[in-house]
Amino acid sequence: MWRIAARGHDGRWSILVDKRATAANLLLTGLLLAASLASLCLGSASIGATAALRGLFGHGDAMTVFVIRELRLTRLAAGLLSGAAFALAGCLMQTLARNRLATPGIIGIDNGATAFAVASVVGTGFGLAPPAMALAGAATATAITFGLAGGVGTRGYRFIVAGIGVGAAFGAGTQLMLARAPIDNANTAYPWTVGSLNAADPLAVELLAVGLPAALVGAGLLARALAAVRFSDAVARGLGIRVGRCRLHALALAVLLSALAVAVAGPVGLIALMGPEIARHLSSRRGVPLFGAALAGALIMVVADLVGRRVLAPIEIPAGLITSVVGAPFLLWILLRPGHRIGA
Amino acid sequence: MTGLPLVSVPRNRPRLWLALLSAGLAAACVASLLFGAGSTGPGASLRGLLAWIAGLDAGPDDARARFVVESLRAPRTLIGVLVGAALGAAGALLQAVTRNPLAEPGLLGVSAGSALAVAIAIALGASAATLRVPVAQLGALAGCVAVLAASRVRGVGDDPIRLVLAGAVLSGLLGSLTSMILLFDERTADEIRFWVVGSLAGRRPADIMALLPGLGVALAIVVVIARPLAALALGERVATGLGHRPRTVRLLVIVAVALLVGSATAIAGPIAFVGLVAPFAARLLAGPDIRRTLWLSLPIGALLTVGADIASRLLVRPSELPLGVLTALVGAPVLVAVVRLRRLPGL
Repeated sequence: MWRIAARGHDGRWSILVDKRATAANLLLTGLLLAASLASLCLGSASIGATAALRGLFGHGDAMTVFVIRELRLTRLAAGLLSGAAFALAGCLMQTLARNRLATPGIIGIDNGATAFAVASVVGTGFGLAPPAMALAGAATATAITFGLAGGVGTRGYRFIVAGIGVGAAFGAGTQLMLARAPIDNANTAYPWTVGSLNAADPLAVELLAVGLPAALVGAGLLARALAAVRFSDAVARGLGIRVGRCRLHALALAVLLSALAVAVAGPVGLIALMGPEIARHLSSRRGVPLFGAALAGALIMVVADLVGRRVLAPIEIPAGLITSVVGAPFLLWILLRPGHRIGA
Repeated sequence: MTGLPLVSVPRNRPRLWLALLSAGLAAACVASLLFGAGSTGPGASLRGLLAWIAGLDAGPDDARARFVVESLRAPRTLIGVLVGAALGAAGALLQAVTRNPLAEPGLLGVSAGSALAVAIAIALGASAATLRVPVAQLGALAGCVAVLAASRVRGVGDDPIRLVLAGAVLSGLLGSLTSMILLFDERTADEIRFWVVGSLAGRRPADIMALLPGLGVALAIVVVIARPLAALALGERVATGLGHRPRTVRLLVIVAVALLVGSATAIAGPIAFVGLVAPFAARLLAGPDIRRTLWLSLPIGALLTVGADIASRLLVRPSELPLGVLTALVGAPVLVAVVRLRRLPGL
């Protein structure tokens, strides 16, 4: 048995703790802490682990404190938050579409958010802040994809290809705006084309810092219903779950998370695919590993950013390129395994 | 093709369409000579064009217009025609051989393979002008082989969308690798940054000459292969029974697609969706026969590319848009339409 029941002292309540999922989450948390510490220590000026930790709490010399708290900590926070948000959004979308490929990056939500955010950055007449625009873009792309595919769940693949088309159109729109804007420095455009933590907008990070915990709570409330929706609408309805409402809420959360994460880091879509996959492999097959997916996503983002910063220093490889090069073969393997069903 | 209604089309209609499309293409070419992003307007361009063709001696203004038309817009238009026709034919061939109405060199990663090969070659020190075409063709060949191998995997071949997804992923991977090379190597980046998004601007006549051998060989293959390919559409057994060799046919198709896409990518950069839209429109016009689709895809692809190129010059004057952006804007809705309209197996 993977589950244990723990009873309260008065015997009136009990919680089911999934041993394996707990162990997986603890493992992921440990790895995440280690990666975060490495991310704080390593850089163009390496700082020892103790000095880094002391600097984190404001001790040590002024320079170290500045580097740790002002430079690396903000970047680490952006990475942790955006990675977790991408992966959580991916996990929600996969579950509600019953398809492991239906992540926000693949079905065009990221591209929609990027296009709108870029529209506000390059100043094409819209005065809203990038995060708000990203949200509007993500919602627009989702609405178009859903409209074109005629709903989700029943026709999984049609939904995905419609999303690829929508994403391609929005991607072209982004290119169009970047081509028109006076951006001669490729670095300025990078966050918006491949995704990078290099120029994370502080306002967007703050918004995500508020939005992610709220979304985690929301996802936690939905977890039970989603675990049933995973099977089929009929099963979920038989278990007394309002399927339509559950889908709508999960979708809204996924769109919100993707939009906020894109506003921070640009379209690093493959994290939404890899995070849940890793969490699913580590934890038990029961339930939807929402929390584990968020942890795994944060871990991937932090590691990808660290690798991108250090491997060929002083050249910085955007985190989006790292995840793409690592994640794409993984995705191909999922797709091309002979005789394997991807749905459900 | 699979899933198409088997309507009988009058025999003369494809020819009618071919004539109409050729006329449209000619008109588009003239428009492409007359309109541009710069200050040379249609009237001045027309005088320049006349000065060029009729050999009239003209004033300094006309001489300038003549230079613009003759040295800038004419090569560009010709490249547009060649690239569009090549991509249209490549799309039709790839769709026929994978039996998948969504197969498209740009979507499946063939163009991206070609682009990556060029980026690697330039990064390793090759000069862009001499080696680009064969290297791009080799890259496209590798991409084609990967696509066909993927389409032979059990379960993927019968499922058009899974192949497209795999192709989209492969495209993304190869594109990321290309971006990485650009990141490391300033010189390569400067040389191909604007080529990678797809554009017809600033190509020299010598670049066109480098394309002709590959395109000629591909055209010869297409002529030879059209009939066996039509037989192969009925199934491998039928084709074998009719005396064709499916393996050889497939091999030739791969070579032809690699030559076509490699040539097009070498000169214009990776341009997606032309190879999807052209055969799609051709099937709408001429019905399901692969031979008709193939021949009609040539002018449709050319018309599409030249039209998109004109639009790329006019939409954001006085600057220009990347051509790949425009074809994606046209092509993405078509992709969605194909998925919605066709009764695809596995949908």
